[in-house]
Amino acid sequence: MVIYKWARDASAAMVRTDGVVDWRGAKMTPGEDDPAALAVAKSLAQTSGGEVVGLTIGDGDASWVLARGVVQAFSVTDAADLPDNATTAAILARAVGRIGDVDAVVIGDSKQESGVAPVLAGLLGWTAVLAVVSATASDGRLSAIRRSGSEQETFSVAPPAVIGVAAESEMATVPGMKELLAARKRPLTQWTVADLGVDVAEAVTVRDSQKPDVTSARVFEGGSAQVAAQLLAALRAEGVL
Amino acid sequence: MLAAVRGLGARLTAVVVGPDDLARAVAATGPDELRWVGPGDEVPAEAFAPALAAAAELAHPRVLVSTTDPAARVLLGAACARLGSALIPGMIGLAAEGDEVVVRRSAIGGEVIESYAAGGSIAAVFVGDDVETVTSNAIAATTNDLPAADISVVRGASSVVATGVNDAPRVVAFGRGVKARSDVALIEQLAAALDAEIACSMPIAEDVHWLDKARYIGRSGQHIAPQLYLAVGIAGSPQHMEGVRDAKIVAAINIDPGAPVFRVADYGVVGDLYEVVPAIVEELEHGQPSGGSHE
Repeated sequence: MVIYKWARDASAAMVRTDGVVDWRGAKMTPGEDDPAALAVAKSLAQTSGGEVVGLTIGDGDASWVLARGVVQAFSVTDAADLPDNATTAAILARAVGRIGDVDAVVIGDSKQESGVAPVLAGLLGWTAVLAVVSATASDGRLSAIRRSGSEQETFSVAPPAVIGVAAESEMATVPGMKELLAARKRPLTQWTVADLGVDVAEAVTVRDSQKPDVTSARVFEGGSAQVAAQLLAALRAEGVL
Repeated sequence: MLAAVRGLGARLTAVVVGPDDLARAVAATGPDELRWVGPGDEVPAEAFAPALAAAAELAHPRVLVSTTDPAARVLLGAACARLGSALIPGMIGLAAEGDEVVVRRSAIGGEVIESYAAGGSIAAVFVGDDVETVTSNAIAATTNDLPAADISVVRGASSVVATGVNDAPRVVAFGRGVKARSDVALIEQLAAALDAEIACSMPIAEDVHWLDKARYIGRSGQHIAPQLYLAVGIAGSPQHMEGVRDAKIVAAINIDPGAPVFRVADYGVVGDLYEVVPAIVEELEHGQPSGGSHE
């Protein structure tokens, strides 16, 4: 299973001068890790002989995966984008349980919402590997690769497991007309939070929202020779040259 | 991170899953209690998530905090699920206010600082600046022998080419401000004059392939901690800057005075890199070492 489009598009949010965030223009959109997560889910399905189903929450267009080779999708349509990652994870966990018969949940390991994937694993009681770049299935186990610096870690996990995927590069895919038409015929099951019986009462309350104190760089402007000398003098004074 | 939690004034228990030198380093920061799990080479920290979550349930802490490290977050997530805690990512500060715990977090790529109050159990992923807090009250770790879940790991060298970028004291990186491949020579001259390694932003490695992927700095690329990081023609997206969070000094050259990089850099030069870079090379090669007289 691949979970996609589960967070709002932060780049479409506006921070007002009083520090309050205006989310009105921000829809649930494919996250920067979603295309990579879909690729990993397809790789797991291909190597295990299984199939990929999609799960999304909120007001986004649920057909995103259906136009990209996924045959069936589920959507929790009224799940608000919550500051508490544990509640988001609870909605996803309940939906995964409702769908059933899932060996691996693949989800973008979002930097902004870095708690959703691990709490989802905790609620399901499954093993998790995060910041994964690729994964395959063989001999009834999942093999997942994570890279950090010059080191590479290859994990071998018994399913079921949660695989959090971090994109190594931007990999936007645009479906063709044939896939878009096929997507319309593929089944999309819609639920509400109430259908799933999840309590979304806010465990946290907003106390304050403000723009950060800007600690701007000490900026040199002027002629090239002058700014070059000023920059080097500053770096020497810091002891880094 | 421990200092941020210490500020709450409550009992602080640290859990370390990893080598004994890491446990000793954490012990030196003076938590009230340190629980250490030292797994073998082939057992990843993730294997202990269920057992540590069960231990957390017994200890029922009011506040749970982890770093952004992938394995640390798995341990946090398991404990959070078991305790029924709320979880706030992007935490930069904690405070106790009456019966509530207030978590300050950075959101929308650092554009806004939000505070959330929790009346119950709360977990958070810490992204703030770490400070050195070595105390003389180092404590002994309690060794824990815990059952492990069915997961193993093999560690090896990445297939990505090794470079000197990770350990270099000085790194010069460039982005799309460099217009043509032939202009990379200009950056190479600057790096040579500064005795620095050369690096780049994601598009340079991924889109135009002017440098190897191993030299790309950013969230999903290299994370480095040089003394000096000089960003040339790099706008400074949050994804890029995450890779140099631990650099001592960040300097930037960019033609756009509104470039985000100037909000996080220590020093900036607003100017055309095609004029400023040769001037810096000239100054380094022929200028006076005590360039401070120009200020």
